[in-house]
Amino acid sequence: MTLLGSYLTLAAVLFCLGLYGVLTKRNAIVVLLSLELMLNAVNLNLIAFSKYGMIPSLTGHVFTLFTISVAAAEAAVGVAILIVFYRRRVTVNVDEFDELRR
Amino acid sequence: MATVFAAYAWLVPALPLAAFALLTAFGRSLRTTGAWVAILASLGSLALALLIAGERLAGAEDYSQSFNWLAFGTATLSVGIDVTNLTSLMMVVVTVVGFLVNVYSYGYMRDDERMTVFYAYVSLFLASMLGLVLADNLLMLYIFWELVGVCSFLLIGFWYHKPEARDAAKKAFIVTRVGDLGLLIAVLLLFWYMPGHALDFTSIGNVFGNDGGAISAGITTLIALLIFLGAVGKSGQFPLHVWLPDAMEGPTPISALIHAATMVAAGVFLVARTFVIFEASPAAMATVAAIGAFTAIFAATIALAQNDIKRVLAYSTVSQLGYMMLGLGVGSVVAGMFHLFTHAFFKALLFLAAGSVIHAVHTQDIREMGGLGSRMKTTAWTFGIGALALAGIPPLAGFWSKDAILAAALERNPLLFVVGAVTAFLTALYMSRLFYMVFAGKPKDDSHAHAHESPAVMTAPLVVLAALSVIAGFVETPWYGWFGEWLTGEAAHHAGYLAMIVATAAGLLGLYLGWLIWQKGTIDRKALAARMPGLVRVLERKYYIDEFYDLVFVRSLRRLGYVLRAIDGLVVDGAVRLVAVTAQAVGRLNTRMQSGQLQGYLLAAVFSVVILVLAVAGRRLW
Amino acid sequence: MLEAIPVLSLITWIPLAGALLMILLPTRNARALRWVAGLFTAVPLVLAIWLYAEYKPAIGGRPYEEAYTWLTVPLSRAGAEGIASLELAFDYLMGVDGLSLPLTLLTGIVSMMALLASVHIRKRWKTFYVLFLLLQTGMYGVFLTRDVVWFFIFFELTLIPAFFLIGIWGLEGREKAANRFLVYNGVGSALMLLAFLMLVATAGFTATPGAGGDALRFSGSYDVLLANLSGSGSQSMLASDPIFQLSDGMRWAAFVLLVIAFGIKLPMFPFHTWMLRVHAEAPPSIVMVHAGVLLKMGAYGLIRFAAQLFPAELREAADVLAVLGVVGILYGAVLAFVQKEFRLLLAYSSVSHMGIVLLGVASLNDVGLTGAVFQAVSHGLIAALLFLIVGSLYERTGTTRIDELGGLAKSVPFMSGILLTAGLANLGLPGLSGFVGEFLSFLGLFESMKVLTVFGVLGVLLSAAYMLRGVMSITFGPQSPRYDGIKEARFVEALPMVALVALIVLLGVYPSLLTGPMQPSFDPLVEAFKSGVGG
Repeated sequence: MTLLGSYLTLAAVLFCLGLYGVLTKRNAIVVLLSLELMLNAVNLNLIAFSKYGMIPSLTGHVFTLFTISVAAAEAAVGVAILIVFYRRRVTVNVDEFDELRR
Repeated sequence: MATVFAAYAWLVPALPLAAFALLTAFGRSLRTTGAWVAILASLGSLALALLIAGERLAGAEDYSQSFNWLAFGTATLSVGIDVTNLTSLMMVVVTVVGFLVNVYSYGYMRDDERMTVFYAYVSLFLASMLGLVLADNLLMLYIFWELVGVCSFLLIGFWYHKPEARDAAKKAFIVTRVGDLGLLIAVLLLFWYMPGHALDFTSIGNVFGNDGGAISAGITTLIALLIFLGAVGKSGQFPLHVWLPDAMEGPTPISALIHAATMVAAGVFLVARTFVIFEASPAAMATVAAIGAFTAIFAATIALAQNDIKRVLAYSTVSQLGYMMLGLGVGSVVAGMFHLFTHAFFKALLFLAAGSVIHAVHTQDIREMGGLGSRMKTTAWTFGIGALALAGIPPLAGFWSKDAILAAALERNPLLFVVGAVTAFLTALYMSRLFYMVFAGKPKDDSHAHAHESPAVMTAPLVVLAALSVIAGFVETPWYGWFGEWLTGEAAHHAGYLAMIVATAAGLLGLYLGWLIWQKGTIDRKALAARMPGLVRVLERKYYIDEFYDLVFVRSLRRLGYVLRAIDGLVVDGAVRLVAVTAQAVGRLNTRMQSGQLQGYLLAAVFSVVILVLAVAGRRLW
Repeated sequence: MLEAIPVLSLITWIPLAGALLMILLPTRNARALRWVAGLFTAVPLVLAIWLYAEYKPAIGGRPYEEAYTWLTVPLSRAGAEGIASLELAFDYLMGVDGLSLPLTLLTGIVSMMALLASVHIRKRWKTFYVLFLLLQTGMYGVFLTRDVVWFFIFFELTLIPAFFLIGIWGLEGREKAANRFLVYNGVGSALMLLAFLMLVATAGFTATPGAGGDALRFSGSYDVLLANLSGSGSQSMLASDPIFQLSDGMRWAAFVLLVIAFGIKLPMFPFHTWMLRVHAEAPPSIVMVHAGVLLKMGAYGLIRFAAQLFPAELREAADVLAVLGVVGILYGAVLAFVQKEFRLLLAYSSVSHMGIVLLGVASLNDVGLTGAVFQAVSHGLIAALLFLIVGSLYERTGTTRIDELGGLAKSVPFMSGILLTAGLANLGLPGLSGFVGEFLSFLGLFESMKVLTVFGVLGVLLSAAYMLRGVMSITFGPQSPRYDGIKEARFVEALPMVALVALIVLLGVYPSLLTGPMQPSFDPLVEAFKSGVGG
């Protein structure tokens, strides 16, 4: 149990770091990277529970792989949008990402 | 004797009503024909009224007939007619004066382009007045009571383009409506207190007449006073007398018909009709007597200082109506109704004669008149007879009826008798003033020198009314109480010769004094007026009652209206606007929070989750 | 043969059919449009008159009921014991009784008169008539349906056409007035919907015992609601289940919601401010319908739901309603007295007169209820007449401000005469219909609340003051030369004027014509008030 606890703590720390990055960074690239960090924290949780959880099973592994591939796709789409945006606005500053409001 | 004609009593109001309908529908295409329709209708009514009265003189049974007007599960409201001695007497009075006024108006209104409208209104009035007289229950009486009020309103405002006429009409309607409210509430009270919700006069007579205690004394007094309030409004008694003098803005025949002979007497008729209620309440009787006596002397003093010929007569009417109320208040229906009967003739006569004068000189100010007696002989003679009758000089009609009231007052309360006697003196005084200023002396204005007598269609009614003013009093004298016996079934008692002597002396003294002041000039009236300028002004301004009402009621109502309008705009509507503004403000605040900054949204989301988690966790710990 | 004709549905839906047909017609031909609109307004009126004449339930006449199931939604049985099936039914129920009959006829008459008066409409005739016909369907439906769901639908159906009619064809401040109208009435509808949902969910069931337990069916039928609320509903073991009982608090909540919802519509003091703007800004023919019929839906709803379903609560709250009524009477009258704009004067006068309706309802006896309905019908006719003349005058003079008009009796004697008659009817002159409604309402209330009635009667005096002030300032006095050349009413204007005056006189002289069919419908209601048992 203590081992699970330390995994979870590590994941929480990672999650908070990521969250901090997402909320505060101005550079969109960094925001995307921080987002990956948060996803990885979740992955860590899934792995930890699949090994040390109440009912250990492979489902956790499968889900992790799933998440990683989705995250990769998401990063690709995100970076693609960023590139298009950069071409149009010559900035990667998220403060200027307010198209929705206009 | 069997009732033959009484069964057709409904035709008496129906004929003028038909004339009204006809004139309203085809008014524009008829002119003099329209007048003839109205005159013939009133003649028909008169004939039928006389036939019914004749039948009753021969001792026919009372006749009544009624229909359901509105039915509920618990009660019914009915309409119906009731032919008794009292109602047939009123019918005769109304139709006689109505017919004569219709004839007279044919001359008086000849040049008016809206003559048919005039006749339509008069016909509607006659129909309503006769309906009021015949009504067999209080609700129906109230309905016609309002209808005569509205006819009076329409006719006062007949010359609609005159602002004074408009204001007078409005005032008449609203002031009398104050009284009408009293009557309406009395009807409501009676409906809920009378056994079986009956409102007909027969049942009212049975319930109140048997003093069986079906209705408590307090309620009885209340009902009586409320009915009297209605009578006060209609009959121009103090403090609701203010509309009647202003009502003189209407055409003069109307003043004679409505505001002297018939409608204003409806108040007296109402009290007489519901007299059982008053008899059951000594307090109400005392109020009626007190208000009547006060109005009589109060209006007589004002009449002394007025300069408009019709206003003098109007105040005289108010005063004489007070006299009738006094008669009723001291317990004598016979005296009150008798005076109503005689007064109708001589006051209608006076108004019509005054109309004849106005027709000739085109002014109503008596200071501009004078010396008309030589040029308008018939008018002057008939006016003189009317004035003497009003002053109570024997053996004219007014003497006998006034004597009956004074005698009844003397029996009940000497103070009321004194007030009555003083009023008789004042009456004689202002009538002699009026007569001398109008008919005696020299013309004040050259244009009046060519004044000439009115056409026969106007003087003939004067002569008829003058004759009636002479003879109408003989139906009830101290030695021959036929009228009283016929009306109430019991002989009226007279107090002997004291009242008669005092009344005659007061009348003669008034006439003599008037002769000294306005004819002979022994007493200088300018010096007299200069000695008491305050009194003269107060009398001329009618005791400032109009001004007082304007200040207390009209202006304060308007001020209240302005205050409420502010409240309606600021508070009632403001509360709604506040809700709207608040909603808008919240919306605007929310708009500002939608900055488009993704990170901002996310932060809000994170905070919300934290708060939710804390709330759930905190709740578990609780 | 005649028995099979669904008269009520025809009355309700013919205007809608007319509206649909009209959409297909060419826009330019104004004359044809007017004739079609007239035809589709006249047919329901004729049917309504026929219905009024033929409706004689007391002697075993045809009851005129139509009932079809529109659609049913099966619900899960929720595991309750003793329930075989559970369904939510939307029924199409139409019916008529002594309460709705006079108002249906009023709707027909006022709609017809308003249609004749709509000659003032100068733009977009087609849309106007389409919306006008839609409005009629809504109004007829409100009075003729016997199901709260349909009542709500029809009620909303009146709002939307009225909103556009005010907002497009009104005077200067029309858009604001239309907004006010929609917002206020929207709030009222929301409250009403809430109350209806509470009622249907708890008291709208009928239980049919069967083999596997009761078959429960929920619907919004008036009769079902009435039966369940008064405790004489379906005899089922479930009926005593607390789920199907409105607690006292819930009963009161539903009652208060209904009173407020219909109080806004009536309008009851202090919810009257929206109506002033509508009266002042809407086109005259729409104000005729609005003051003549739409406001009466408030009175109808108040009696139909608040009074009929909750007599015990009404008995408790009668004092409050009566006080609100008297306040409304006096408040409206005093404010009418100081208005400078004749249309606003009439608006406040409506507030005052609707206070009288409230008094009649609060009286809790048959006299007062008759008075309330009579007053509603009579005020509908009188208000329609007054606004008809106001519209005609406005068309000629361009103003209805009291201080700018005067002496019109000289150039337009006919219209002035009608205006005077309408004014006299409005101030309750006996012999005209206004008096009967007022008198009966006061008479009814006087039984229980004497002092309050006396205050209410004071309103009669004030109404004389403000009505005469308004009418006489317009028609009497010296005439301004500006109005010398104005024309007398055309035939198409004079016809509805004369017709309305004739009706007002007829009802004033012979009120039994209107009260006759009402009586049987009020008897059970008055019984319920007396016994204090719901229902």
